[in-house]
Amino acid sequence: MRWGMVIDVRKCVGCQTCTIACHEENALPPGIFWRHVVDVEVGDYPDVRRAFLPMGCQHCAEPPCVPVCPTGASQQRQDGIVFVQYDMCIGCGYCAVACPYRARHMIHEQDWYFSTPTPSEEKAREPERHGVMSKCTFCKHRVDKAPAGATPGVDPEYTPVCVSSCIANAMHFGDLDDPNSNVSKLREAHQPGVLLEELNLKPSLFYITE
Amino acid sequence: MSGPVPTTRPPAGPPRAIELMPAVLQHEWDLYHATWFTLMGVGGGIFLLARLLRLERGLGVWLGLPVVDLVSFAVISAGGLLLIWSLGRPLRFLRAVLKPGTSWISRGAIADFIFVALGGALILPGLALGGATSFARLPWDPWASTTLGRVIEGVALAAAAIVIVYAGLVLADKAAVTFWRSWAIPAQFVFSSLAMSMATVMLMQTLDGTPIESLECWLLAKFLALLLAVIAWHVVTRRTQPGKAEALARLHTVYGGLFWGVVITAGTVLPMLLAVLAALVPPTRDALGVAALLLTVAGGFLLRLLTLRVGYFPPVSGVLRVPKR
Repeated sequence: MRWGMVIDVRKCVGCQTCTIACHEENALPPGIFWRHVVDVEVGDYPDVRRAFLPMGCQHCAEPPCVPVCPTGASQQRQDGIVFVQYDMCIGCGYCAVACPYRARHMIHEQDWYFSTPTPSEEKAREPERHGVMSKCTFCKHRVDKAPAGATPGVDPEYTPVCVSSCIANAMHFGDLDDPNSNVSKLREAHQPGVLLEELNLKPSLFYITE
Repeated sequence: MSGPVPTTRPPAGPPRAIELMPAVLQHEWDLYHATWFTLMGVGGGIFLLARLLRLERGLGVWLGLPVVDLVSFAVISAGGLLLIWSLGRPLRFLRAVLKPGTSWISRGAIADFIFVALGGALILPGLALGGATSFARLPWDPWASTTLGRVIEGVALAAAAIVIVYAGLVLADKAAVTFWRSWAIPAQFVFSSLAMSMATVMLMQTLDGTPIESLECWLLAKFLALLLAVIAWHVVTRRTQPGKAEALARLHTVYGGLFWGVVITAGTVLPMLLAVLAALVPPTRDALGVAALLLTVAGGFLLRLLTLRVGYFPPVSGVLRVPKR
């Protein structure tokens, strides 16, 4: 099993709902965004369009951020999810400078949008997550609680919140190793590409662009 | 803008990679890391040079212990403590030794511990407190005149060498920052560390009244010449590489004065010329010890700081086609 995403750039409207949903779900402090949407201009006049690319951790199969970690806090699960074990992290920042996608964010201090945490911030707060590195976890707290018979990527409750909140159905999550999964079918049908393919990091985020 | 607006479409060419995210500066590593890199380089270099040149006996003894070794340990310890303090996780930092197979920070931390432990053990038999020499019965002495002493010294020297080189390898080995991904970075750090360490040893000789040898002056000049050559190579090669182009532009503009004025001119070329002068004119050597230390430390520290501060992540590019409506 290897979790991954297929993002249909043709459908993304750049609404940033995924950005905000991720921010709220994970109670991220101001200024830290694990998911963000890049707004680019594509094509040459007169065939020019705006395109939007949801970006974040690519959960590479060969993640450069994991081997550099001196403490072993930066880890990769069997299912491909790359995450930070906060209580092992010393905040050295080595993983952040190793990631070519710039998907790691140091949370220097516990901070809230207001003087006290909002109810949603209080609900999702992780006290050990400051002074350490942070990153997208593919919402493993949602994925891992999927009961037997439920399928992350199909059942919204057990799907990364950026995917389940997408208003345009542009983002898809599933098992890349399962040929019958939604993401595998999309990959077969559209041959999506990956970012910085030349680095051979084998990212788990695929982009359908045409 | 002039001329008519084209009304016909140019022939469609192959899709081009477009920049999705521009090059951006890294902000993780800055002042503390530059200081840490500098102190590790100087600390390891002092022990290495003093021992290899067999200068440790002539640079003073305090409580029966070679002062030059104590200075080396103090500088290394200061670097390590500064880093641990800046990270704010002193107990967790012990975990930093857990991944020597893949992480240069782990390898460096292990080398630091081995160096301080074995270097400390090496000089321990000399310790004299109130006339008591409790460790004198150990089968070696601080000057490594026995076989076991030479073995301990050899391992400590190897650890010191790793301490000197690992800071550069932390940057050059796995970082995504293009400017750092070159053998030139560890080479610069090593030559800079050796130059700063040589200058420190020379200053200690001056303070101790020990004559500075011509060999030391030539060594200092050679370290600085090699440093200059590697810096030159690094800034003139692969200048258009994404990420490195932005780094060089920043190095020559925002930090141009510090780089050319302090790192190159005052921190490298000037002490190199002074070292040659001192080698040829012995009476100038004491003055050189003071001047070289000030100049090389200023240049060496800024070399590291500017290397960090011009660290750009290269742009993230991709081939996107115009989505069909």
